Amino acid sequence: MTADRILDIENLVKHFPTKRGVVRAVDDISLFVASGDTLGLVGESGSGKTTTAQCVVGIYPPTSGRIAFEGNPIDVAFSRRPKELKRKIRIVFQDPGSSLNPKRTIKQILSVPLKVHGIGTPRDRLGIMSRLLETVELPPTEYLYKHPQSIGGGEKQMVAIARALATNPRFVVLDEPTSALDVSVQGKIINLLMRLGEELDLTYLFITHDLSLMRNVATRVAIMYLGKLCEIARTEEFFRSPKHPYTRMLLSSIPVVTDQEESLKPEKIVSRGEIPSPVDVPPGCSFHLRCPERMPICSDVDPAMRAMDDGRFVRCHLYEPG
Amino acid sequence: MSEPLLDVVDLHVGFRIFEGYLSVLNGVRLAVDAGERVGLVGETGCGKTTTVKSILRVLPMPPARVTGGRIDYRGRDVLTMRRREVQALRRRELTAIFQDPLQSLNPVFTIGTQLRDIVRDSAVGQGTRLSRRAVEARCIDALRETGMPDAERIMTNYPIQLSGGMRQRVCIAEALSTNARLLLADEPTTNLDVTIQDQILRKLDALVDEHNASVVMITHSMGVVRDLTQRANIMYAGSIVETGETRKLLEDPKHPYTQGLMASVPKLTGEGISEGIPGRIPNYLDPPGGCRFHPRCVHRMEICSVEPPPFFEIGNAHRAACYLYQEET
Amino acid sequence: MREQLKADLLASLRQKRRGFAKGWYKFSRNPLSVLGLVVLVLIVLAAIFAPYITPYPEHAKPYTDFQNAGRPPSRTHFFGTDRVGRDIFSRVIFGYRFSLTIGIVVLSLGVAPGVILGLIAGYHQGTWIDTVIMRITDIFLAVPPLVLALAITAMLTPNLTNQMMAIALVWWPWYSRLVFALASSLRSEYFVREAELTGASKPHIMFKEILPNCLAPVMTKMTLDMGIVILLGATLSFIGLGVQPPKPGLGTMVAEGAKRLPGEWWGTIFPALAIVVVILAFNLVGDGLRDVFAVEEV
Repeated sequence: MTADRILDIENLVKHFPTKRGVVRAVDDISLFVASGDTLGLVGESGSGKTTTAQCVVGIYPPTSGRIAFEGNPIDVAFSRRPKELKRKIRIVFQDPGSSLNPKRTIKQILSVPLKVHGIGTPRDRLGIMSRLLETVELPPTEYLYKHPQSIGGGEKQMVAIARALATNPRFVVLDEPTSALDVSVQGKIINLLMRLGEELDLTYLFITHDLSLMRNVATRVAIMYLGKLCEIARTEEFFRSPKHPYTRMLLSSIPVVTDQEESLKPEKIVSRGEIPSPVDVPPGCSFHLRCPERMPICSDVDPAMRAMDDGRFVRCHLYEPG
Repeated sequence: MSEPLLDVVDLHVGFRIFEGYLSVLNGVRLAVDAGERVGLVGETGCGKTTTVKSILRVLPMPPARVTGGRIDYRGRDVLTMRRREVQALRRRELTAIFQDPLQSLNPVFTIGTQLRDIVRDSAVGQGTRLSRRAVEARCIDALRETGMPDAERIMTNYPIQLSGGMRQRVCIAEALSTNARLLLADEPTTNLDVTIQDQILRKLDALVDEHNASVVMITHSMGVVRDLTQRANIMYAGSIVETGETRKLLEDPKHPYTQGLMASVPKLTGEGISEGIPGRIPNYLDPPGGCRFHPRCVHRMEICSVEPPPFFEIGNAHRAACYLYQEET
Repeated sequence: MREQLKADLLASLRQKRRGFAKGWYKFSRNPLSVLGLVVLVLIVLAAIFAPYITPYPEHAKPYTDFQNAGRPPSRTHFFGTDRVGRDIFSRVIFGYRFSLTIGIVVLSLGVAPGVILGLIAGYHQGTWIDTVIMRITDIFLAVPPLVLALAITAMLTPNLTNQMMAIALVWWPWYSRLVFALASSLRSEYFVREAELTGASKPHIMFKEILPNCLAPVMTKMTLDMGIVILLGATLSFIGLGVQPPKPGLGTMVAEGAKRLPGEWWGTIFPALAIVVVILAFNLVGDGLRDVFAVEEV
């Protein structure tokens, strides 16, 4: 029984050939997102999480592998995608400062998706835009005529969300939507996103490096390292007993604010060494150079993703049967 | 009770711009004892960077104006010092690390060139001259101390050839090679990955210990402050609203703003995220009267919009600038 | 509904006016730039109303008065008279007409095509469109402007119109280059990405998203270029390929007066100074504009 899989990624590979060598940004990952879910994609720099999102949205065509949306293959770049697809899949970028054109007013910015997809007649559009701003709790009469530089970061991100929702999408990719914002603003935006997700029946691919945020937002969590998936599990199981050594290392490094949280963290694993560059991926398991549980086989053979009893997937020799 | 190493007393700083006058720092009170590690926590626009720049005297003085207060460093007011004294201060006593190492490091010079310049300059500031070999040795030592592998090779690299974590290590090496007494660290690990941030903060911690330096750690992350500082100061809209021993302050925050912040931080315990703090940071062109937080405060009272609250003692060196605690004094 | 649209229009206009006021504030921080602007406005007004404000407007046309030839500056002739007796002051004011016309016409002809070509090439960077456009630009850039203008005006009859066309022909590539650099770097900005992902058409992206972000450097450059174009025009007139005597082009007057140096210095010096003043004024205004457009950080 497969739940309604709105997004299905199979063996996705994305390599970028550069002068210094091939950047193996995404190196064979497979995952799916069920309709209505929020999949959290977590990783540090070089993990490939952003590139994965970019392939889903169509900024890059995959080097190989399949991506299916609502059952239909979509593994081409956006210039080859049908307009309807661009209406259904939307993205909110990380840096609100650069995702809104500084030389245009909010009204002009919001009108673009409406015009492109023919939503409402020209006369209706003013009303539609006002309603969009009201949805993200920004008073339209004030905000429509402002330029992005005269509003704060949190408000800019609200506008970006309003813009994403303007086309009545089904699937929204959130690329670190609150990483550039203060924590007191983050709460408002995250709660807004969750509420809208429910009301409008949206599915989210939520990318972040903040595990504490993930704990409160995602229904399933996937961890990436150097282009490969390490572990995927439902949120509660994931945080209750993380299996992959990298996951444990990540969790033990995050700064927390209460003693209670401290006790939830796995035993302190001191991370060693720098994160390798995706141009220079270590052989065997890409994590073995920094792994405290390293075994001889790890430098030779790259483990495969295995399903475990509780529905999670892990990619590590420690959990290979036998 | 010896006098503090750094004592910012009732600092008022503003900026003149097109639309009017931005009254940013509104009576900042901050003290750092010798050997102490103090956190300055606040969100974007609260004035923490302006405070640091005021201490270092690097604020651009035409738009910026100091309209009141003192910054006493070892008894002498930094704000009234002459240029040469300030320069000596920067060479010998104070050092800083900033958020973006790409901006702190000159892209067209090698790490070696930049580090050597700093070591030589600080030696001159301290009245000694070092031979070329001594300078080189000091540079390599500084780099090695930060956990940099292959320090000799790094000396010949350009900043752009290094990763973010390594660049920040270089900045730390630069800062600590001067043997300064006070380190001002302005969000030094915000741009770094979590595992690297962890490594670097531990290293910074160890080094600060060894060098016997004092630190002002500026950050917006409560978690970092918890791990690294002994005392914490919470800043909002240009003044300190709460100060106290870090662990106690985070466990039992007293000021409504601190409480709001703590509630907004997503926790591993998974209880969901609060709606944040309603409202926005004030417009410095026309800031609210009295306590600048009062328009957003659920506990606000009459007096809050009239008089800015002084610090009220709550416990052991735990103080909050809030009229809720007036009786306790 | 109509009310709403009217309110909409009013709000947009109010916003624009606020932006303009802020720009003026930034500009007026520079006393020199304001001075430049004032001088410029005076020169433009003088040139427009030349027949009405100059003491001897008829001296700009063919006129001789050998009785008064070669007189030094005096109260009746502020800049003196030239070798055939014409009032130099009046001729200089009329001469500004030619200079300003050259500047305006050349830039009007040259900037728009240059900007558009640069925009298209920049957005299509890496494709054959980019290659074709930019190589053509490079070819035009490789030829020194003065030489090309010389060649063209020498081939055709020397007069103001041909001179202007010649300079326009060598001017557009600079704008092409400038906008190409801007557009190709703006192409990777998130807001452009977002428009592409939404499905906006290429013309929309080029002209509505990218171009507004290129205008500031283009306008600053235009102001500074006015000075250079005026100088180029004066140079061509000086060597006889531009404004022909007896018309009072500033460069032409410098050439005529040069024969009388150093004795009757006023014949050359005043027209030369007039050229310097107008170029300086444009430069000062350009500097001020740069400050207006600079993104400020507090």
